[in-house]
Amino acid sequence: MTHAMRWCWRGAGTALWLLLLWGAALGQSPAPAVRVTWTGPIVDPDSLVWTRAPAVKVPLTPQVITVPHKPDPAIKELTVKVVHNGGWIAFLMEWKDPTKSDTIMLDSFGDQVAVQLPISKGAAPSPMMGNPGGRVNIMQWRAAFQHDLEKGPPTIKDLYPYAWVDLYPDEILGVADARPYAGALGLENPISRGVATPVLDQMAEGWGSMTAKPDQHALGKGVWRDGVWRVVITRPMVSDDPNAPVLLPGEQTVMAFAAWEGGNREVGARKSWSAWVPLLIQK
Amino acid sequence: MAKVFNWQLGREMDYPYEGTRPRRQFAMVFDTNKCIACQTCTVACKTTWTPGRGQEYMYWNNVETKPYGYYPLGWDVNILEKLGVQDQSKPVYAGKTLFEAAPPGEPVLGYLPDDADYANPNVGEDDSTGLMPQGAYLTMPHMQWMFYLARICNHCTYAACLGSCPRQVIYKRPEDGIVLIDQTRCRGYRECVKGCPYKKVYFNPITRVSEKCIGCYPAVEGGRQSQCTVTCIGKIRLNGFITTPDRADEHNPMDYLVHVAKVALPLYPQFGLEPNVYYIPPIHVPPPYLIQMFGHGVPQAIETYKRARDDKRLLGALMLFGSTPEILHRFRVIGDHAIGYDEKGGEVVRVPLTEPFQIRAFFDEARKVYRHNVT
Repeated sequence: MTHAMRWCWRGAGTALWLLLLWGAALGQSPAPAVRVTWTGPIVDPDSLVWTRAPAVKVPLTPQVITVPHKPDPAIKELTVKVVHNGGWIAFLMEWKDPTKSDTIMLDSFGDQVAVQLPISKGAAPSPMMGNPGGRVNIMQWRAAFQHDLEKGPPTIKDLYPYAWVDLYPDEILGVADARPYAGALGLENPISRGVATPVLDQMAEGWGSMTAKPDQHALGKGVWRDGVWRVVITRPMVSDDPNAPVLLPGEQTVMAFAAWEGGNREVGARKSWSAWVPLLIQK
Repeated sequence: MAKVFNWQLGREMDYPYEGTRPRRQFAMVFDTNKCIACQTCTVACKTTWTPGRGQEYMYWNNVETKPYGYYPLGWDVNILEKLGVQDQSKPVYAGKTLFEAAPPGEPVLGYLPDDADYANPNVGEDDSTGLMPQGAYLTMPHMQWMFYLARICNHCTYAACLGSCPRQVIYKRPEDGIVLIDQTRCRGYRECVKGCPYKKVYFNPITRVSEKCIGCYPAVEGGRQSQCTVTCIGKIRLNGFITTPDRADEHNPMDYLVHVAKVALPLYPQFGLEPNVYYIPPIHVPPPYLIQMFGHGVPQAIETYKRARDDKRLLGALMLFGSTPEILHRFRVIGDHAIGYDEKGGEVVRVPLTEPFQIRAFFDEARKVYRHNVT
């Protein structure tokens, strides 16, 4: 049992919370993943395919189970639509956010949203990032990655317009010699940059275990307009990755969500999240 | 939280993890009386470890002027104010640690500085507490004062950065107690920046993860002292390994200075992190300020230090500062020399307790002239 889980299990009150959220999926009528005619991945939030899917309101609750808590997160609800074309399943999340936060600095946090699916069939794991033995696939879209892809990764001049620097190691050293001075970028830490997609394809089996997968399959796109984020996250329904869910038309599974408002200093465990929501993948 | 024993507080305290100590503990002793804030340590660290993109205003080592210098701005007064006044008059600490004062849902009492707090690393530099009126002269302790406080990561026994990380990305090496952040797993939540009361974890906005002093572990693994230590022109630093007081070895210079002579004291021990950088307090600064900063042992440390010239063993330990790049595991004073030994017992340095010097006669017989400050 991880350290974080020990914290969780200490209080009977928190255990009750967990049970309530875990079991919230039971008895709900499933949200449909509507079958649409579309070739390839569905990544555009403005695509007409979304008119085919019903909007489902997913309430989010503050993360106050594992330390650190966020008792006052800004995002209380997501509006979710799900479609698939037999090859790709896509989730459209919409929520109100008066400020677009896509810059990461010490005291600036980025907007984010994540979709979580169980990896194995059978009893659903904990909706809170899974549990040991109960792995989940978490696909997380980041506004900062969206910014990286559309406008290029920020330079120090972008972040601090009056910064003045005489010389960096990578200006005088070869690539290999400069690499140790590049920190996490030199080690290709997946959270340092949005490389090909603004979505991280990850897995977890409990708090603190989130790991970006070696093979990244998730795609997506986020658009902020008039105080509303509209974000699509999509992934192949079937892959050869043993740590990816297998999603087949006609089957039922569950999905869960988490969201972070950067302007409210939400990051990591300081977020709002949902219970499992039943999902029926239409034939 | 688990119960751990903090020898600096003389009691058990709460900590998020079980109290497992490393096999040996990286430690430093800084003699504040000798520091002139030349920042050679800062530049040595900067050029060695943090010249990269996103590290422009990141100083793993810095030297600030107390009482009005801070990097980042107000780091210590901010957390002291949050913690509130605590009773630290006795060897057994009667107040609350930052772990014990943690708000609900938080691992430790902390705060996240503003980005702008790092913008002026030399704020307050050389500022004294006040002006000397006409005709006034200094007495001990000084009525107007300032001193230089060199700072690196304290590689705490009970590190708050480590205890704050929800991903267990920060770890304390069992072989030397150096605290490191795994740069491949950090996700840049900044919980460690918030949790560390010394604000010695920094956020890199280009790599989007946190970074900190690595205790020059490649040097330490090779038996050598850290860059900030070996480059110190004032010879104010000694880098080595410390043990707990119950296992103190009086022949280990770090144990001797901290546990036997008790001239070197931890920085803000009341926070409860058991920091492993130890300071010889400045003898000219009023004790009430220093007791808040270094704990109840300040008056005794100052008295012992002032008598160092009469204590060959203490003088010998102090003379070993800056005498060699090697880590000294043992030392002895034989005659008028202090001798430092490496881990295998080999002699690596021999220094005189008193530097030899010559006084030339005021009148030069050969040239029939008086010597008036001529070189």
